[in-house]
Amino acid sequence: MAAFTLQIVTPDRLIYEGEAERLIVRGMTGDLCVLAHHIDYATALVPGEASVTTAEGERHAACSGGMLSVNDNHVRLMATTFEWEDEIDLARAQRAQEAAEEQLKQMSADDQNYALVEAKLKRALARIRTKG
Amino acid sequence: MAGSSMKAIKLRIKSVESTMQITRAMQLVATSKLRRSKERMETSKPYADISREAIQAAVLACTDTSVPYVTARPVRRRCYIVIAGERGLAGGYNANIFKALAADAGETPYVVLPIGRKAIDKYQRMGVELLNTEHGHVEGLSVSACFKLVRQLTEGYLAEQFDELVLVYTNFVSMMSQEVRVERLLPVEKPDAPEADKRIVQTLYDPTPEETLMKAMPDYLAGRLYSAACDAFASEVAARRNAMDSATKNAGEMIDGLRLRYNRARQGAITQEITEIVAGAEA
Repeated sequence: MAAFTLQIVTPDRLIYEGEAERLIVRGMTGDLCVLAHHIDYATALVPGEASVTTAEGERHAACSGGMLSVNDNHVRLMATTFEWEDEIDLARAQRAQEAAEEQLKQMSADDQNYALVEAKLKRALARIRTKG
Repeated sequence: MAGSSMKAIKLRIKSVESTMQITRAMQLVATSKLRRSKERMETSKPYADISREAIQAAVLACTDTSVPYVTARPVRRRCYIVIAGERGLAGGYNANIFKALAADAGETPYVVLPIGRKAIDKYQRMGVELLNTEHGHVEGLSVSACFKLVRQLTEGYLAEQFDELVLVYTNFVSMMSQEVRVERLLPVEKPDAPEADKRIVQTLYDPTPEETLMKAMPDYLAGRLYSAACDAFASEVAARRNAMDSATKNAGEMIDGLRLRYNRARQGAITQEITEIVAGAEA
């Protein structure tokens, strides 16, 4: 399959650099898939499952925040957090989910921290779905 | 007479020696910290560099002037993020940062978000309004702490509590040289696009460059802040190592000089004693 170059970075490290055949992430308007020779494209990311297909096979990950940019067959994924399936701490994600749900119940929708806690919940859910 | 000056010199030597022990120990600690902090700095670079490019491209693609992160407004008040050291004894490390800020600020009033004990102390003493005083420890500044700080900063910026966001930190150039940088983070300046880069214009933004920018900006800023903090810490450690290295050398030279004087005084005392004995025997 035709390939493109992919860089995945988070603020504290470079996670992946090399060739890839397919990348799926969740953008602002929904899940999207990048194949080789994709049109030049950019969007912001939201928490969700991601998947990277290379010649060795497909790997799943939980990804949140940041930006995706496609430029002349170079794909750059700048994520706030990016964890491969085998790095996810399921118990911790479940605890985070419960804590966030509990907090949301006691909040009104116009609380200024509402979006914050909601984002936490989404991140936790993305991790749990990726692992499950 | 000679005896008392000998004693005084001996005391000086002792005191310089113990100072030298301290400076040498601090030099060793800094050296061992340096390797790890340099590694951390290297790993934080890719995100900051790549996302800066992506953000600049998005800024170029913005046609709408209503994006507050891009549109400059009259500057009534600035906000400075100042990353200084946790401790002194690092040569001019802290002083240079404060000097650079004072030069940049001019007459415009400002608020400060200090990171590092020294920055907190300094601006507290000056009576400047501080946005947050929780981060005295530069080395321990985590990625999630950066995100929290950036949230506070973007909220302040969007609510027009300040009109410009400026980052002041020390960039690690090499072991021997670290330079203070003053970087304007917000509003993002439109980079010059010499031949009106076609690729950027043709890039499809989903849904629009403006919305993408609004959403991605805090993440980008947090990455920049984290990367700057890593740089600053490596610079602090390198500056301290260099300062302690020359202090240790100076102490060594001082001890050599004092030893010479001590030996001379001792010799003088012996000669005098012999002269006295000989004179006494002759009498």
